[in-house]
Amino acid sequence: MKEVIAVVRINMMNQTKKALDEAGIDAYFAREAQGRGKGFVNPMVLEGAEQGYEEAASILGEKGKLYPKRIITVVVEDSRVDDVVQALIRTNQTGMPGDGKIFVLPIMDAVRVRTGECGEAAIA
Amino acid sequence: MLMIRAIVRPEKTDAILAALMDAGFPAVTKYSVAGRGKQRGIKIGDITYDEIPKTMLMSVVGDDDKDFVIQTIMDTARTEDKGAFGDGKIFVSQVEEVYTISSGLKEVSAPDEEVAA
Repeated sequence: MKEVIAVVRINMMNQTKKALDEAGIDAYFAREAQGRGKGFVNPMVLEGAEQGYEEAASILGEKGKLYPKRIITVVVEDSRVDDVVQALIRTNQTGMPGDGKIFVLPIMDAVRVRTGECGEAAIA
Repeated sequence: MLMIRAIVRPEKTDAILAALMDAGFPAVTKYSVAGRGKQRGIKIGDITYDEIPKTMLMSVVGDDDKDFVIQTIMDTARTEDKGAFGDGKIFVSQVEEVYTISSGLKEVSAPDEEVAA
């Protein structure tokens, strides 16, 4: 069992939900978060600042600014990790810095509270 | 690679984020949580507060950087020198794979060494 944690843009949530649905992932959970990355500047912002847009200049001025993001957590069996990761990359990729990251972590066990089932049966 | 999750006091987050930035670890995600610790919350008079607001900081770093990042968070998050109840906890877990969505690449060991997935 693996836990796939993806940090994505907030405006990509609807597409991502649809993509996960199409990939056959029914159960996942999402939450709001703020984050920052390596600090690469979006070329569009840079261009905007050069053209004198105040909004763009203010973004450039603040180092280490936290941007609103969404965290999606999916727990799946080992064989489906690749499908989920590829679906997430496909839908969220714009090629600009800030698209987000995907982490894959091992999960020791899972329990379905309703029935008490353990392991793979709990996430099936 | 390792995921470091730190539960800290909300008022300390700005200082910790600045310290991590200065230490060369800009990539962090934070979210708000509520919880209690070993002290079973705070009891003031007859009222027990057992859902104390905290902030969770999440960062994924290379194996070699673990101790340095933990030390940086610990030094900044601690209340004065001695520390106090409620300063928080740091958890470390194994991350097997890391992908950057913008490039679609899988990262191995160090965040800067990138290879095609």
